[in-house]
Amino acid sequence: MHVATVIGSVWSTKKDTTLEGVRFLVVRPYTTDGKESAETMIAADPIGAGVGERVLVVHGRAARHAIGKGHDIGFQTAIVGIIVRMELADGRTVGTHVDFDEG
Amino acid sequence: MFLGRVVGQVWATKEVDDLRGRRLLVVEACDDMDEPGAPKVTPVIVGDPVGADGGEHVIVAFGKAARVACGGDGDLAYEAAIVGIVDDVHAPGAPDSWQPDGMRGSA
Repeated sequence: MHVATVIGSVWSTKKDTTLEGVRFLVVRPYTTDGKESAETMIAADPIGAGVGERVLVVHGRAARHAIGKGHDIGFQTAIVGIIVRMELADGRTVGTHVDFDEG
Repeated sequence: MFLGRVVGQVWATKEVDDLRGRRLLVVEACDDMDEPGAPKVTPVIVGDPVGADGGEHVIVAFGKAARVACGGDGDLAYEAAIVGIVDDVHAPGAPDSWQPDGMRGSA
């Protein structure tokens, strides 16, 4: 499970039938050193997150379970929550949106 | 499973039902703490059925092991959980950051 920032959406028409009706977003994992990770992931979104929002992302069976369409579906990453606040021991606070960070 | 340290806590509003009312902590792997120049790996968000505090060293499990630790029949939207709080680590040559704070210098 990771914290990530939504950076965009992906649309696909020709796809595995198990993916029909599932919304896909592009997310970038949060790093503690403040540098932007080059790595991005595509995550299914059952919640309705928007660009710039900080989200909780899970992988594998946990992700398939989160979507609630059974476990035989063709994806492995899902958004399971939108973050209100993350407090780190060094005093930094990460907010719900990439524009609202403090410290 | 890996050795990590609790570095924070996360709260979410809109979330899937499985996560409702559960405590989520931010854990950084101990391996990442000792290379100042190296880019930090993204911290892992974990379920906490054990009751760990900030700064504590913990054992984190992934996958089904984590879901079972969080209760139920192992079908949850979870993939990482704290399964133990570390009292002491004996590993010759291991960096100081592996030791829980209370034990530092005594290893």
